[in-house]
Amino acid sequence: MIIANRLDTGRVVFLGADNQWHTQADKAITATDETVLEDLWAKAQADLDANIIIDAQLIAAEKNDHVAMPSHIKHIIQAQGPTVRTDLGYQVSPDWEG
Amino acid sequence: MYAYDTYDRAIINARVDEFRDQVNRRIKGELSEEEFRPMRLQNGLYLQLHAYMLRVAVPYGTLSGEQMNRLAHIARRYDKGYGHFTTRQNIQYNWPKLVETPDILAELAEVEMHAVQTSGNCIRNVTTDHFAGAARDEIADPRPIAELIRQWSTFHPEFAFLPRKFKIAITGAPNDRAAVKWHDIGLILKKDGAGKIGFEVIVGGGMGRTPVIGKTIRDFIPETDLISYLEAILRVYNEQGRRDNKYKARIKILVEALGADVFADLVEQEWQNTKNNPIDVPQAEIDRIYTFFTPPPLEVLEDVVAVVDEKAASDFVFASWVANNTHAHKVPGHVSLTISLKPHDGIAGDATAQQMDVVADLARDYSHNEVRVSHEQNLILPHVAKHQLLEIYQKLELAGLATANAGLLTDMIVCPGLDYCALANARSIPIGQAIAKRFDDMKRLQDIGPLKLKMSGCINSCGHHHAGHIGILGVDRRGVENYQILLGGSGEEDASKAQLLGPGFDADEIVDAVETVVAVYLGERREAETFLSAVRRLGVAPFKEALYGAA
Repeated sequence: MIIANRLDTGRVVFLGADNQWHTQADKAITATDETVLEDLWAKAQADLDANIIIDAQLIAAEKNDHVAMPSHIKHIIQAQGPTVRTDLGYQVSPDWEG
Repeated sequence: MYAYDTYDRAIINARVDEFRDQVNRRIKGELSEEEFRPMRLQNGLYLQLHAYMLRVAVPYGTLSGEQMNRLAHIARRYDKGYGHFTTRQNIQYNWPKLVETPDILAELAEVEMHAVQTSGNCIRNVTTDHFAGAARDEIADPRPIAELIRQWSTFHPEFAFLPRKFKIAITGAPNDRAAVKWHDIGLILKKDGAGKIGFEVIVGGGMGRTPVIGKTIRDFIPETDLISYLEAILRVYNEQGRRDNKYKARIKILVEALGADVFADLVEQEWQNTKNNPIDVPQAEIDRIYTFFTPPPLEVLEDVVAVVDEKAASDFVFASWVANNTHAHKVPGHVSLTISLKPHDGIAGDATAQQMDVVADLARDYSHNEVRVSHEQNLILPHVAKHQLLEIYQKLELAGLATANAGLLTDMIVCPGLDYCALANARSIPIGQAIAKRFDDMKRLQDIGPLKLKMSGCINSCGHHHAGHIGILGVDRRGVENYQILLGGSGEEDASKAQLLGPGFDADEIVDAVETVVAVYLGERREAETFLSAVRRLGVAPFKEALYGAA
């Protein structure tokens, strides 16, 4: 999957199958096929160039019960918010846009 | 406190306007991220894991009540209602929006604050003793000279692109509470035989992946010559420091490579140039700066206060708070009061907007409108009358700010770690919370006595683990958080580098490991022997054996 931050707010976002950036990791598109990954990265690059997002990265993901989630703890924390002050994190407001 | 003059105000306001223009151009796409990144960093704006992070400078850790109120207002209006006080005596906001940062900077400028030089390869915020101007053991208040250095280093064109970041710390007391030997330059204020102020100059200290304790290159430089001498050090470093490898670019690497004696000779040679140029500030200007740091008019009062002693006799926690959280003041009947930001159920260094407002009110009512930020991530009321301690305690209790643990094991330095920081490899905050929970009993903490635990979530060492009596370093071991224990470090006048004990522990093992280390100390200590003294006497062997078994 591809993770990035919105330019204007810094909010963590994930590239979805609809070519939009979503705040929730379970809406991210995942792929293993090299050609598909290249297409996804091309979209990310276009939005980097268009100054919509910054710091885009292709990251490892896994699916549990068909729900996508980053594999590495760093990106899991990015997806879910800090594991402390969860009263203020994405846990209580996953749609928070910054 | 120092008050901006027309020049200070003009350059800070101009900087806000400039950054507003830069942000607008970035949003419109007229600047690329590559072009914009150094601009935002020069204004303290990072991109972290979840959002942007704004680091606001608190020069030498000194704030007025009104400035603290403004920090609270910014937390409330532009962030999520809290801020994080750091080991650089600064404050960080974790959730600002890029588009709102010019407004934040404008609001800061209104109260003579800014975020310049809180990032980038320049001279950073100068830090000092959080009890400066108040401590009974102090030779002289180091803040006038800290302010002089702030003015000299702010927007200094020659030193805007150093090989790497550069940190200066000053202590005005022989008991070092500013960790000066761990800084790029550390200054120890002294007086010569004629009573004139000057400084011992230490260079090449630093933490990170290569921890080094700084070395003295000059025993005494008069304060009137200080700026030209600092200029000479910076010039030698700027010319000869490595730029080919980020990890070898700090001045400590240069000083180690050349040897402190050779480095000192180079500085002396360069100083022959700088000291004959009109860089040094005239005595009249130094005197002008000193006038802003005139001690408050404190009345000499009784050191023994019945109301405090009576309460302490019947309330162990209050007695502990008085014993641990107050520090001897120059004026009898007064203390400097540490407001611990280490509640056992909280986050080290965090304060809510409401708490900041409470501290601002207390500063106005009880401490001549002064607050300090300590590098140990606490807040200080520097000038408090002892007879008002009980009143203050009761107000702090209501705000969740009366934790009686200053200087004890749970008064930990803890970096933001992997919960917030893009550089971190492991979380620090939850480990700190678990340790605080394990050692929650005040009588047990008091029995363990002075113990500085410092924790970093990566090798960059923002949590000062190299200088911890107990240091904890979080690492990534094949994708899993793992925690190494170090022992025997000190950030004080007896500075020492903590020694790694052995392989790390998983997150669910590290608290037990800390408890094991403490148990060895309790079992081995001699009467009145502190943890650090015991480690130095015993060496690390008994602690290693307890953790890993006999070799």
